[in-house]
Amino acid sequence: MTTVPADSPRLVAAEPGAPLIRLERLTMRYGTVTALDELTLELQPGIIGLVGANGAGKTTLLKILVGLLEPTAGRATAIGFDVRAQGTELRQYVGYMPEHDVLPPDLSATELVAHLARISGLPAAAARERTAEVLRHVGLYEERYRQIGGYSTGMKQRVKLAQALVHDPRLLLLDEPTNGLDPAGRDEMLELVRRTGTEFGMAVVVASHLLGEIERVCDFLVAIDAGRLLSAAPLGTYTERTGVLAVEVDAGRDALAGALAARGLSTRVDGREVLVAIEDEASRVAPYDLVRDTVAELDLPLVRIEQRRRALAELFRDTATQPGAASSPVTSVPGAAPPPTSAGPGR
Amino acid sequence: MTIEHAPAAAATSATGSIYDLGYQPYDGPRLGRREAVTALFAHSLRASFGVGRGGRAKIIPIGLAGLALLPALVAVGLQALLGRAGVAGQANVTSPIRYDTYYGYVQTLVMLFVAAQAPELLGRDQRYHVLSLYFSRALRRADYALVKGAALVTAILIVVLAPQALLFTGLSLSDRDVPAAIARNAAFLPPVIAQALAIALLLGTIGLAIAAHTPRRAWASAVIIGAFIVPPVVAQIVLQVVPGDLGRVIVLLSPNDLLAGLNAFFFDRAPDARAVARADLPGPLYLATATVAVALLLAVLVRRYQRLAT
Repeated sequence: MTTVPADSPRLVAAEPGAPLIRLERLTMRYGTVTALDELTLELQPGIIGLVGANGAGKTTLLKILVGLLEPTAGRATAIGFDVRAQGTELRQYVGYMPEHDVLPPDLSATELVAHLARISGLPAAAARERTAEVLRHVGLYEERYRQIGGYSTGMKQRVKLAQALVHDPRLLLLDEPTNGLDPAGRDEMLELVRRTGTEFGMAVVVASHLLGEIERVCDFLVAIDAGRLLSAAPLGTYTERTGVLAVEVDAGRDALAGALAARGLSTRVDGREVLVAIEDEASRVAPYDLVRDTVAELDLPLVRIEQRRRALAELFRDTATQPGAASSPVTSVPGAAPPPTSAGPGR
Repeated sequence: MTIEHAPAAAATSATGSIYDLGYQPYDGPRLGRREAVTALFAHSLRASFGVGRGGRAKIIPIGLAGLALLPALVAVGLQALLGRAGVAGQANVTSPIRYDTYYGYVQTLVMLFVAAQAPELLGRDQRYHVLSLYFSRALRRADYALVKGAALVTAILIVVLAPQALLFTGLSLSDRDVPAAIARNAAFLPPVIAQALAIALLLGTIGLAIAAHTPRRAWASAVIIGAFIVPPVVAQIVLQVVPGDLGRVIVLLSPNDLLAGLNAFFFDRAPDARAVARADLPGPLYLATATVAVALLLAVLVRRYQRLAT
């Protein structure tokens, strides 16, 4: 995935060197319900996916960052500004696309976006100019002069994205940007988000409950569940190759496992596959050759040999099977360590 | 993948062709909260008269403002006729339509204007959840509430002062001795402006404090009208039933009686409204009550927006 140079001066507006977002024991309670539970996290610029089930606290976190909600406790800073003490200054540099319908039906996209650009602090002439540019960027052309009430869901989502981009924010916060879109609309919206983040050096946080979408646009992933941090790591960490070789044979799995074990590899039969740990053995033997030769010697019907990758979905599958096991939230494939938490998408 | 979308590079080549420039960064000035407040005020003041909305949105506010001009037109026309008959200069004394009596003729129109436009200014943003777009920008919640208030107060001032300005111009210019007429009429300016401010601030804050509490326009309009017409009736009854100071003070709870009292105080005349005349309270008491009421209503308005979930 294309990335932006980390030293780009456009990324951070306040103190240089400050993290994009820093949360310190951030807590939000609604009555007896705890939406965020002492969330501590530091994020560097990039395209950051914020995943979690509905009700995990994604929207709450975004709303605290744009000042729509006051946290119950804890501290949050974004692009070097304290969310509470410097909120008005911060919000000049933040774009926010809410999840739900927020557009007045009796204004045209041009009128609304130009007005909101000025509410973000842009002078009138610049607001008009940027409105035309940004509406073209999101793919609204002649229809931008018509009243929003007559727009399709896809067009409305584009207007919502446009109003978040019109003042050229340093940080773009998107809450379920593909909400209500058909598959083609989803693809277009995700491509817009990806382009905005990669080509223009804008830091983006995309909240979604759909892992598949996050996977396609983000380079860093933050997973939360019930207001707690599950993990935060570069996307690659979740899908990296593991030290496990999966050998699928149509028959003779036990024989193969035994033969390989006899040659010094640790093996295990798992369903249709024989899993072979290759991490430690790589220096001593050539595991691929060994597997190939062993299969050939035993004359087994080989289907495939494949190095195992982690699956992103394991992140959540694990929390379902181990309630309360927050200490090691990510499923460990045999022989692999869980991804580190609290690291930047360092590049 | 960077090559796939490299329009910026193409744009910098001096070929003069039109390219899709894609997304452009903005390096111009960011004026922050000041610009936000200015823009919201202009937008809201225009919206108070339906400007920038469809044609139907203009009918009520512009129609009511136009109707409020009619008594002034009549007064000016009357003076012009009298002038030809040789009795000019007497109009302001003899005509029943004068600076000090003007509000009495148009108070229903102004009340309807507030009842129609206060929900228009606040209800739409709540109804369509636009507030989350405002409050995530360089604007504070209190700014939003106070700027909306300033816009409606300004709009009411326009509705109330436009006929007075017409009266002033017409009476001055139709006189045979224009400079003397201007000097004579100018003496009325301070009470005219003071009374207009009192009307705009009191009615505007009542309208907004009510409208802020519901996204439903019809509800808000009905409650605002109720707040204007029920208290005078109650005051009238209480005044007749309850003897003594308690009965007299009750007129202070009626916005229109309060304004009638202020009008008498500012123009230094006997009050026209019967209840106010009967209560016979000192002028400064009306002023103090109105000031406290406006301050309380603004506090209610701001507090509502600071607590409103977005």
